[in-house]
Amino acid sequence: MKSVFIAFDQAHKDAVIDILDHLNCRGFSMVEQMQGRGSKTGEPHYGSHAWASMNSGIITMVEDSVVKRLLEEIKNLDESAQMLGIRAFVWNVEQYY
Amino acid sequence: MSLFESAVKRPIMTALCFIAVVIFGLFSFSKLPIDLLPDIETNTLMVMTSYSGASASDIENNITRPLENTLNSVEHLKHITSKSRENVSVVTLEFEYGYDIDALTNDVRDKLDMVTSALPDEANTPIIFKFSADMIPILMLSVKAEESLPALYKILDDNIANPLARIDGVGTVSISGAPKREINIYMDPVKMEAYNIPIETVSNVIATENRNIPGGNFDVGSNTYALRVEGEFNSPMEMKNLVVGTHNGANVYLKDIARIVDSTEERAQKAFTDGQQGAMIIIQKQTGGNSVAIANAVREELPKLQKRLPSDVEIGIIVDTSENIMHTVETLTETIVYALLFVMLVVFVFLGRWRATVIIGITIPFSLIASFIYLLITDGSLNIISLSCLSIAIGNVVDDAIVVLENVTTHIERGSNPKSAAIHGTNEVAISVVASTLTMLAVFFPLTMVTGMAGILFEQLGWMMCIIMIVSTAAALSLIPMLCSNMLKLQKKQSKTFKVLYTPIARALDKLDDWYAGRINWAVRHRWTVLICCFGLFFVSLVCASSIKSEFFPTQDNGRVAITMELPIGTRVEISQDIATKLTKMWQERYGEEMEVCNFRVGQADEDNVFASMSDNGSHIISFNISFVPLTDREKSLEIICDEMRADVKKFPEIAKSNVQLGGGGGGMGGQSMASFEIYGYDFEVTDRLAKALSDSLKRASVISQVNISRSDYQPEYQVEFDREKLALHGLNLSTAATYLRNRYNGSLATYFREDGDEYDVKVRYEPNSRTSIADIENITIYSSTGKPVRIKELGKVVQRELPPTIERKDRERVVTVNAVMAAGAALSDGVEYGLGVIDRMDIPSGYNIDVAGSYEDQQDTNADLGVLAILIIVLVFIVMAAQFESLTYPFIIMFSVPFALSGVLLGLFLTGTNMNVMSILGAIMLIGIVVKNGIVLIDYTMLLRERGLGLIPATVRAARSRLRPILMTTFTTILGMVPLAVSQGVGAEMWRPMGIAVIGGLTISTMMTLIYTPVMYCVFGGVGIKRRRKSLKAKRELDEYWKEHKNDEQLISAKK
Repeated sequence: MKSVFIAFDQAHKDAVIDILDHLNCRGFSMVEQMQGRGSKTGEPHYGSHAWASMNSGIITMVEDSVVKRLLEEIKNLDESAQMLGIRAFVWNVEQYY
Repeated sequence: MSLFESAVKRPIMTALCFIAVVIFGLFSFSKLPIDLLPDIETNTLMVMTSYSGASASDIENNITRPLENTLNSVEHLKHITSKSRENVSVVTLEFEYGYDIDALTNDVRDKLDMVTSALPDEANTPIIFKFSADMIPILMLSVKAEESLPALYKILDDNIANPLARIDGVGTVSISGAPKREINIYMDPVKMEAYNIPIETVSNVIATENRNIPGGNFDVGSNTYALRVEGEFNSPMEMKNLVVGTHNGANVYLKDIARIVDSTEERAQKAFTDGQQGAMIIIQKQTGGNSVAIANAVREELPKLQKRLPSDVEIGIIVDTSENIMHTVETLTETIVYALLFVMLVVFVFLGRWRATVIIGITIPFSLIASFIYLLITDGSLNIISLSCLSIAIGNVVDDAIVVLENVTTHIERGSNPKSAAIHGTNEVAISVVASTLTMLAVFFPLTMVTGMAGILFEQLGWMMCIIMIVSTAAALSLIPMLCSNMLKLQKKQSKTFKVLYTPIARALDKLDDWYAGRINWAVRHRWTVLICCFGLFFVSLVCASSIKSEFFPTQDNGRVAITMELPIGTRVEISQDIATKLTKMWQERYGEEMEVCNFRVGQADEDNVFASMSDNGSHIISFNISFVPLTDREKSLEIICDEMRADVKKFPEIAKSNVQLGGGGGGMGGQSMASFEIYGYDFEVTDRLAKALSDSLKRASVISQVNISRSDYQPEYQVEFDREKLALHGLNLSTAATYLRNRYNGSLATYFREDGDEYDVKVRYEPNSRTSIADIENITIYSSTGKPVRIKELGKVVQRELPPTIERKDRERVVTVNAVMAAGAALSDGVEYGLGVIDRMDIPSGYNIDVAGSYEDQQDTNADLGVLAILIIVLVFIVMAAQFESLTYPFIIMFSVPFALSGVLLGLFLTGTNMNVMSILGAIMLIGIVVKNGIVLIDYTMLLRERGLGLIPATVRAARSRLRPILMTTFTTILGMVPLAVSQGVGAEMWRPMGIAVIGGLTISTMMTLIYTPVMYCVFGGVGIKRRRKSLKAKRELDEYWKEHKNDEQLISAKK
């Protein structure tokens, strides 16, 4: 089991949930309004006067087999609209109930 | 969920909500009446008091003064004027505009109750009249007739006046110029005397003989019958054989001493249309009726009524006020359509997307139509003000929509899907959209609070603009995102035709951006040079301002002229008629087809003719009513025509006074500018002399084409002075003697002759040829109480007298008004300036003074009101901006573009030679809001870039480059929306042209200046800010260094301790 944290521009919200649905990942937790900025090229998303856009964040626990396809789909989505920005980070889930 | 989010997610609901607004709007539109101006409630009350037998000065002292003194304390009174003439006092109260006239009438009534007891006992109770615009006729019809002339009154009364009066909304229909039938019994004074039968006896006999008397009922067997005596004459000639008395035991018949003539009234007004005699029908509306609807109904009815008339009677229209209203409204509607097209074109050129253009285009009608609902609810009408408001609004309502649409497009181009782009794109700009609407509300809301005349005009405009702005913002935040989410998509490939068409435009716009960025880059590095140039331009425009002329309201060319001419008092009607005919011929030749109708009336009007008795009439007075084809089909302007007519009238030395009124004297706004000079002072002689001197000087001025003095001359008349002692000797009193006199000359109304359900007067009086000299008066026989005949010359004498003129007062002082009408092309300010020059040179005795009043006073009052309004608006706009930016500096910078708008207005008026008037000032006031919007856009984006970390100059240059297009776009939409107003040549265009010119001039200059000046000023203030920060940083650093160096010093440590 892996935990995937996806941070993305608000505008991607529907697309990200579609991807999760498509891969049969039922469970996730989402933060609708989230501030942040990319490490390299990503524009700040502060919801402020200067940087008006906002991010959303999803954390989802998926089976190991799904991770690869999930990352691929997210990469495709990112490439379709590079100005918006989406990133996913994966780490292990030690235990769960 | 926010407004735009739910709008995007529920497109059907959103669309239907707006469609509902449109349906209600269109419904309201169909119900709205059409009028020229907003409903201006009357602000004038008249108090009329009669006191028979009193001379003008008695009336002034005993009636007018006490009334004035009491009424002066009524609230909201602006001026109190009065006219005191023989037997009657008329006090006119003029109130400030915008107060409830019914409440004021009650106040006046209360005050009158207080004062009535102080008035002389014989004086009648004062009567209050409400004077309103409804008294102005809405339609005047001309009637030409030949054979039917003698019976014209009855023909018209039965076939025209009565059916027309039944039309809904028609108030009074009066017939002028067609004499009524009258049975005249002309008595021979010599025979009357021989038989010893006075007129009174004859009159009594006729009255008692002309009766039908019911005799009750009686029973015959089983039936009941009515009993009647039918004595009424079947023909006037039956009266011939009436026995009026006996002489030496023989019956005296009426035919022995009189002649019966079945003809028309002796003295009646005659009406001529295009030189042919006929009549005139005047139609007034009921209070609150809609002129256009009534006029249309009358026009529809006329062809049907024409069929009922004899073939020689022909009906035409002299004046139809609705025609001008309809033409004006049509012209204005046309300009609105053009404005709409221009705005759409601008949007397309700048956005380069047809879908975006359609989205913007849809929102315009939504916002505009909503304002009709307001108009219907508040009993408004479609008029010049409300329609020009729509024209102004077109350019403004798109602004918010454009901002939202642009941001949504940016989001789509960045890769968002249209739906989330619509939601997030709108969310980002929602606050600034609301803020910019607030600035517009800050401009238009205070318009609803203006008092006075301007208040009445601009209240509707203020509310309409507020409503349109609010609806357009609501549409920008709901309808636009919804439409964007459904209609916009990422355009990956453009079509070929589009590329061919749009590539040059796009290239030109890019070049413009680059060029502008280059100029700004230079300007921000040469700040002070640029600023000095900007303010230099401002001062140059102020210099131009000194040569701009001012007036109150633009003169409106409605194609109507009314002329009143007075010949010396006592001139016979035939002579007056002759002059009028000559003038008609002269004008018919000169103006030909351009003059539609030329109608004149001459002679004494019938007492029961409402319209005619309201206006001046008499055998020496000629009233012309002339209408021309609309301005579009005519070469000369009405002002020039009026001047020509004035010159023509001057060619007749017989004409003592003349008044040529442009616009037909309909009252209110739109007439020719007139400078009124009021001469205050008690002594008639002195004020007369001053008035004469002033009027003579004014007549010589080239800017003035006509001068009138309000005080009339002394009127000659004959009076019979009875000796009361002699009257008493014969057992007579003054009123009996006077009645005898009246019955012989004016006639005694004996009875009515009835025929076909109509009644005609039967009048008994002397033969006309026995009423031609003073000797005839002196020889009149009066019968004493004992029946003894006495001649008038034995009871008194006939003397010629001069009747003193009416005493006019204003604000409780005697006044004479000298009115000067401006010549074509001259403005009110020219006349006032000239008049003031003349007054300066005049030798005015102490206790007398001359004031400028009339429309100049109104102009000054209105300008003062509008000045206060401008200050109020500036403060409000500043507050809105300061709240938005959370700063006092930036609004200050932006506010500095307002003076440039003013210089643009002044330059615009100066270059086009337009006068400064209420409409152009209104344009200038509206500019405040539009101008600051540009500044806000620019400063806001510069701040954004600086927050993103850019330096002062790069941020300014980049912001300027990036905001150039939105600024140009919103400016062009407003300017092009106004162009049709400024250039339209149609009917009524002169009303709104000054406003269009003011807005275009102001907006052009101020936008150019905003684009140069605002970035520079921002850099000046930004530079100061940076220097200050550097300075404080430096000071802090030095302190820190000092501390570092000296922190181990013993002195410091000890000092610290």
